[in-house]
Amino acid sequence: MSRLRDKIALITGGTSGIGLAAAQRFAAEGAFVYIFARRQEELGKTIASIGRNVTGVQGDVRKLEDLDQLYARIASDGRKLDVVVANVGAVNSVKLADVSLESFNQNFDTNARGVLFTVQKALPLLNNGASIILTSTIASLRGFPGRSAYAASKTALRSYARTWTMELKDRGIRVNTITPGPCDTPLIDAETKSPEEAAAVRAKHAANIPLGRMARPEEIAAAMLFLASDDSSFVAGSELLVDGGMCSV
Amino acid sequence: MQKLQGKVALVTGGSSGMGLATAKRFVEEGAFVYISGRRQLELDKAVSLIGRSVAGVQGDVSKLADLDRLYARIAGEKGKIDILFAGAGIVDPQPLAETTEESFDKVFAINTRGLAFTVKKALPLLNDGGAIIVITSIAENKGIPGFTAYSATKAAVRSFVRTWTAELKDRRIRVNAISPGPIDTPIFEQQAPTKEGADQVRAQFAAAVPFGRLGRPEEIASAALFLASDEASFVAGVDLPVDGGMSAL
Repeated sequence: MSRLRDKIALITGGTSGIGLAAAQRFAAEGAFVYIFARRQEELGKTIASIGRNVTGVQGDVRKLEDLDQLYARIASDGRKLDVVVANVGAVNSVKLADVSLESFNQNFDTNARGVLFTVQKALPLLNNGASIILTSTIASLRGFPGRSAYAASKTALRSYARTWTMELKDRGIRVNTITPGPCDTPLIDAETKSPEEAAAVRAKHAANIPLGRMARPEEIAAAMLFLASDDSSFVAGSELLVDGGMCSV
Repeated sequence: MQKLQGKVALVTGGSSGMGLATAKRFVEEGAFVYISGRRQLELDKAVSLIGRSVAGVQGDVSKLADLDRLYARIAGEKGKIDILFAGAGIVDPQPLAETTEESFDKVFAINTRGLAFTVKKALPLLNDGGAIIVITSIAENKGIPGFTAYSATKAAVRSFVRTWTAELKDRRIRVNAISPGPIDTPIFEQQAPTKEGADQVRAQFAAAVPFGRLGRPEEIASAALFLASDEASFVAGVDLPVDGGMSAL
């Protein structure tokens, strides 16, 4: 259980769902983990639950000064970064006819612009051979009504992985996207009005997935661990689909 | 903690290169591994190198009788297979204008038909919840002069992965492909008449990789381990590039 021993990792959006599972797994594998998230209370709970080898920095990827403060903190801790997981994402459901500048920007400011500056400002702190992981979505591979701007903003990440692979190759820095399929989290219960409704939502997702069920967050985290660790030392510029076969059939 | 404790694996093309590295890694992770290959001498050397928890079975994947003999042996000794790594493959570069029937048929017989029947005949022995890993190639998505047949055989194998993901879903068998970029294996010896010639081909391919080097067989093995293990429990139907960024070019 030490595949990230002595490594320093940063996870943005690491207080819930997949990001939280990744933070837990990375810490269990020996990494020291910085979690960057907007809500201080959630950050506090997350740090407490993981317990050790983790610390939180509050901030918003849409604010360049928050990113500057994040990296200044890591630098002043005397650390460099081996793994960056740009996991923060802004999702909404807005059909094309209803898209407003505000809803459009909500997706692009975080998912496209925020991720770029998250990675840009990490560059001086990245060790050679570091691994950058960008969390995408199956919405970028399929047509889901209501996801015009969300899907497009996340599709940018697949393109970033290619461009940055070519820009950063001389430093041996690997940039990959991870594309989770539908993931079973408490959010489903929070967004439905009854256990029966929640079960129906889960069943509807499962019907489209060859493996017959939704992902557990730990399964996405395990795939992120693969990309973060030396086990993927020759994997660069790629997209790792973790979707139970959904987008391949 | 060993990731493949108690598992039985079959690695075709296991006497050299990626197959050998994978068999070795699987054994290190606790599996018993059958390796198959066409040349008894190479097989014996490989078994000797791996040293424990391994058995070599001579055979040609393009011969159905050899596959029957292979699976009869595994059925008699172990009674099951948990992991199938279909690594047997050849290359025979010929410009289209000079392509012979013999060469075309030979490459398809091993890389495509042989692989399909390797998997078909494994099905009765494969455990539900098992993993199938096949080897495609970056060539399937590129235009490489001389690779008419080879690239097509690999594109076909990528298609198999989709079909089999759908067909085998009720048995929860995960089928995935690894798409290697140029990896430092004896396959280069098949592409030139002398050692110097082969090394020249190696250097040409290395120069085309963003990371500026060939991949090591161990880097394919670690990707295979990921896909074979519970770490990839929600990964199905994918074609994972392990190519030092080459597909990002």
